[in-house]
Amino acid sequence: MRIVHYVNQFFAGVGGEEAAGVPPALREGAVGPGRALAALLGPDHEIVATVFCGDDYAASDASASEELMALVRSASPDLLVAGPAFTSGRYGLVCGRLAAASVRAGLPAVASMHPENPGLDEAEPAPVVESGRVGREMRASLERLARAIETLARGEELGEQDGRIGRSPRRNRLAERTAAERGVELLLARLAGDRERTEMPLPSFGSVTPSAPLEDPARARIALLTEGALVPMGNPDRLESARATRWLRYQLEGLDQLEEGAFQSVHGGFSTVAANADPHRLLPLDVARDLAGEGRIGTLHEEYLTTAGNGTQVATARSFGVEWAAELRKAGVQAAILTAT
Amino acid sequence: MNATSVREGQRRFGTGLRLLAHEVTGAGLGEETGYADGVLTVGRREAADLLADPALGAVRVSCASPGDSTRIVKVLDAVEPRCKGQMSGSDGALAGSDGEVFPGLVGPARLCGKGETHVLRGAAVLSAGFLPRAQEAVLQMSGAGAELSPLSAMHNVVIEFEPAPGAPWEEVAAALRLGVLRLAAHLARAASAAAPDSVEELEPPRAGSGELPRVVAVTNIQTQGAFKDVLVYGRSMAGSLPTWIDPCELADGAVVSAQYGHPALKNPTFVHQNNPVVAALRASEEVELAGVVLCPEPVVEFEKRLVSEHAARLVAAVGADGAIVTKEGGGNADGDVALKLDALEDLGIQSVGLFAEMAGRDGTAPGLVVAPTRANALISTGNYDELVRLEACDRALGGERLGIVDAAATDELELPVAAVYGSLNPLGWGRLTCAGEQ
Repeated sequence: MRIVHYVNQFFAGVGGEEAAGVPPALREGAVGPGRALAALLGPDHEIVATVFCGDDYAASDASASEELMALVRSASPDLLVAGPAFTSGRYGLVCGRLAAASVRAGLPAVASMHPENPGLDEAEPAPVVESGRVGREMRASLERLARAIETLARGEELGEQDGRIGRSPRRNRLAERTAAERGVELLLARLAGDRERTEMPLPSFGSVTPSAPLEDPARARIALLTEGALVPMGNPDRLESARATRWLRYQLEGLDQLEEGAFQSVHGGFSTVAANADPHRLLPLDVARDLAGEGRIGTLHEEYLTTAGNGTQVATARSFGVEWAAELRKAGVQAAILTAT
Repeated sequence: MNATSVREGQRRFGTGLRLLAHEVTGAGLGEETGYADGVLTVGRREAADLLADPALGAVRVSCASPGDSTRIVKVLDAVEPRCKGQMSGSDGALAGSDGEVFPGLVGPARLCGKGETHVLRGAAVLSAGFLPRAQEAVLQMSGAGAELSPLSAMHNVVIEFEPAPGAPWEEVAAALRLGVLRLAAHLARAASAAAPDSVEELEPPRAGSGELPRVVAVTNIQTQGAFKDVLVYGRSMAGSLPTWIDPCELADGAVVSAQYGHPALKNPTFVHQNNPVVAALRASEEVELAGVVLCPEPVVEFEKRLVSEHAARLVAAVGADGAIVTKEGGGNADGDVALKLDALEDLGIQSVGLFAEMAGRDGTAPGLVVAPTRANALISTGNYDELVRLEACDRALGGERLGIVDAAATDELELPVAAVYGSLNPLGWGRLTCAGEQ
């Protein structure tokens, strides 16, 4: 099989975070972990090209997948392989999106990442096989990925036995008894010593380690972000008030204040009266301008990012987070104030 | 039997309540309110008089029965018609000695849940229309969507309303709420002279320990201010610590919903009157119901923790072995359940939590926003995000259009189950659940 391999800028050997903004590019043959993968695959398969991109460039905009797909197609492959991305959020998101775009375009694909990677939720309908948590686990991760590629080459579907991960869909259905009655039965089972039974698996959200404090705020570029659904009056881009599927950006340049009547919150989960009377309650532009004027912060990022955090799916919110982080890094932002409602 | 166990065996937290149920098999409008042979007639003028208020303009009453090609949209609340027995004082002679239903609103704010209560079973009074912060709800009376909500199986008396010009919305909501409660009591009174179809004796919880495991229903109620609040004896619980109540008080309307958000994730007044967890615990021969702990749902995390720790301690104080914890509202309220489940387990009390899932349209996302870390026995009342198709219907009540899908209220609709009133009921009213493909 002719294989195109996708890796990020780091595994392509281009550079670390300082190179996270590099645009998509293609190199012939295997690069970095692709060389070890090629060795595991043997002579029946060839990595004909490696496509790579900076994490910030690729993760901040879902449309980057199309640019990447154009490069992938130019090598006329039979299969796209993405990763392993381990727990790296931006890298995983791109691997998931690219694999999904590839399968939708008719090119078989497989991605590799850790089950906690937010990219897992983006890969559907492409299969994802489990990788280790960190790059140290590269060898075992590549061995599993190589076996999965062999399985696909035989024209077989990947299953759990191949290390395939992803949540199987859950569907609504009517039970015979009410939820309250089932609750009593479950409690009786628990009182009788059953500590496992449940109707719902516990989700694992992982945990986020906060970054170190800024060394010198006076030299930092600061962004203002909100999940309070603050948008220009009239909600021109129709941000959802609940179950948001997207986020938006609006200019702050030339604005010293957010005037009452010029902005509004369309959030459906709290009373927006106070926020609409003074939008700074959601987005503290006034104070931020003062602090910038006093030199206590370096500069203010001249656009704010907004979404509605109300009944939003966790997977969607995680993707927003990865996209915002990539977006802000691209813009040279060192710190952000994200207001929650 | 030693003296201690005799005393414990006798001590009860109330006197108990006798429910006299009158089955409703049909409902319609007429000149005078009446009840005969199972058919409820709603007097138009009486209904209008009971709802008359300076904050309300025109009020319209309609009936919608199971199987009708009708959709009720913008449903705000549903109330089961109930009234107190008139002649059931301890000496059998004192009229009104049982008090009144909906204490603190229709009747004085005195402890309720004793004597006799008449119930119109199979009927509900619904309010429907626009209120601020009320997310649009739909309720199908026929077709595939009707099996999603227990209210679709009721004979519904539907109140539509106009606000009085210039009336503050809080006053509109309060007038509507009170009018609907008064109408519900009035309709039940029409049946109170008829012989009941069935009589149910609701026992009050006992103190001390018995032979069966003692279980408390921990009922979280939303406390997010105007239009998103729940009233206990007419008062908001916002800022309060949890309190223990006798489930018989719920049956008399001690808890009334003033919460109009989250169509599928709200607990209408009807569900407090008929608390499904309480009912399921009463129906089980393997547990003893040890009461209800009502808890506010604060919006600040440290208050959620404080309330949860106090709730768990109240459950322990009534000698419970287990608890079933329920919520009201969206993802924020997941935290109120999760924290209580863990707080209960920390005290050695086995716990089960009821949750609706927010698993995305395709059902692959994590279902919970906040998960317990030490408890793990969870019941799913269904996935909020999954789409459901509702067939077109001939008549709509509650409004002419639906803003959420920008469609006529009678159109065929495809929307998230989250919009179907009562469908994912957090108190476990319905049969909906969610499970992996098998």
